[in-house]
Amino acid sequence: MRRRRPAQLWHLVAVPVLGAVGLVYAFPLYWLLVTALKGEGELYRITPSLYPLEPTLDAFSSVLVTRGFLGLLENSILVCGATVVIALTIGFTVAYPITRLKVSRRLRLGVLNWALSLRFLPPVAVVVPYFAIVRGLGLYDHPLALILIYTVFNLPFAIWMLKGFLAEIPSEIEEAAFVDGASRWMAFCRVLLPLAAPGILASGVIIFAFAWSEFLFALILTASPRAQTFPVGVQGLVTQFQIIWNDMAAAGALAIAVPLGLMVLARRYVLAGLTFGVIRGQ
Amino acid sequence: MESASDSRLQAGSASLGQGTREPGPLARQERLAYAILLPVLGTIFVVVTYPLLFAVDQSLRATRGGDFVGLRNYTTALENPLLYEALAATGIYAGIVLPAEILGGLGLALLVHRTVRSARIRMAVYVLATLPIVIPPVAVGVIARLIYAPGYGVLNHLLMLAGLVQAEIPWLSRRETAMLAVASVDVWQWTPFVYLVCFAGLQTVPRESIDAAQVDGATRWTLFSRIELPYLRPLLLLVLFWRLADVLRVFDHIFILTGGGPGATTQLLSVYLYRVAFKFFDTGEAAALAVLVMLAMSLLYAAATRLLPLERD
Repeated sequence: MRRRRPAQLWHLVAVPVLGAVGLVYAFPLYWLLVTALKGEGELYRITPSLYPLEPTLDAFSSVLVTRGFLGLLENSILVCGATVVIALTIGFTVAYPITRLKVSRRLRLGVLNWALSLRFLPPVAVVVPYFAIVRGLGLYDHPLALILIYTVFNLPFAIWMLKGFLAEIPSEIEEAAFVDGASRWMAFCRVLLPLAAPGILASGVIIFAFAWSEFLFALILTASPRAQTFPVGVQGLVTQFQIIWNDMAAAGALAIAVPLGLMVLARRYVLAGLTFGVIRGQ
Repeated sequence: MESASDSRLQAGSASLGQGTREPGPLARQERLAYAILLPVLGTIFVVVTYPLLFAVDQSLRATRGGDFVGLRNYTTALENPLLYEALAATGIYAGIVLPAEILGGLGLALLVHRTVRSARIRMAVYVLATLPIVIPPVAVGVIARLIYAPGYGVLNHLLMLAGLVQAEIPWLSRRETAMLAVASVDVWQWTPFVYLVCFAGLQTVPRESIDAAQVDGATRWTLFSRIELPYLRPLLLLVLFWRLADVLRVFDHIFILTGGGPGATTQLLSVYLYRVAFKFFDTGEAAALAVLVMLAMSLLYAAATRLLPLERD
């Protein structure tokens, strides 16, 4: 009996605490969406309404069409897509030898730790030399500059996540292919790649989401809608002299919707990858 | 054919299992590994290192004219009182954010671990907790604006609705509340990450040790401090370093929410560096600061690799 009481205490606390936490996460997102769905007339009421009185998609069309964010959306998708492809390709060339070949522990750990050290590279420090270098190369305000930098900064994730997924595929499967006469390259393409597909998908989604979120480099290395990414556009709506709340909220909601949608679509695969292999999903 | 494949497999698993070194094929595989790795890693190394050297060069030259000035940029950078305000702000921010996130994440993980039995609910919470990680910090800054801003900000209206305050509180233009507002955004976005790591860590605690302790009449607290905490300690350390590195790079949501203000209250190191480089255009001083930040990060990384059991196989 004595041992049960604290357990009941946990249960007593659990519902209100988890409810409050749920509210703390749901309400800000709700408020963002509500504001995005408001018409212009509703913004300047003395007491803002907690729900849209006349829900409208005006703010979304204003942001995407009138303000030209569709172009920024295109830039973002181009930059993020290219980053995913390049980072995964390089990630594979690094993760493959250290997981599928019999290499010394020293080599494997050396490569992994070095990749991790890249993650400690502080963007705000390297952006100073990058700015000068990118200008010198004539890549200022060009998507290519962002693609290169995003690739470098996402490589640690790519390498660590792919390493985690590749290490889980039993080596016997590949060896069986060798026995059947397959070359290493054929075994890689026909056996390993299909088996690793869920992991590749997960890594791709996560890298896309991280590249999508990046703001500092995009802010400093782009100047016009030719290369600006979506978050830079969102920021432009925030620091204006007078904030148009519904437009800002609509842009913010779109910025959230893209990575969130991807995550939900690929949730089964993503779980294991997100925490750098710290967590293995069930 | 069959027997050949069997012996190959056995040889393969034997060398995997015990690390017995067959010199021939093993060396060949290691050579192949180097052949694949060297060009790739070499290229990355150059791409990463060149900007660092470039920054060192920039830091030793005058911003205008580009003459070699020795360490003058470093002395200017270190003599600027704003740097110490930025460091203090970073310290305060870390002092709020890190304990809040780690205690909050750990507490929630324990709560769910102890009370929620349904696998489906556990999974649902797990999936939900991954979502804040991929929300762009810029968008979280936008949400925070919608909550704290004067006029439209909903927090004031909710507080007035509840009768807790009579007049609007200017959250973003008061020193104490501005820092809290900026920190709250960080806590909102990153506590779920700590939760994920802690929750996963709790799943690895062997059931038998818990049962054995309970048979011995251990209280909930000793159960936690003697059995679960030791399992979690490396993970918590990892999270601490991870988040510490993040605090030194945090920029986006502060830029959106306060821009470093009021005054320099929320001007953390990264925001300060940004202003020196891209508002005052003092490239030399900014490069000197950048080099100093990179040195600090290397120290942090060195400490992290010493203290963390990064690879346990």
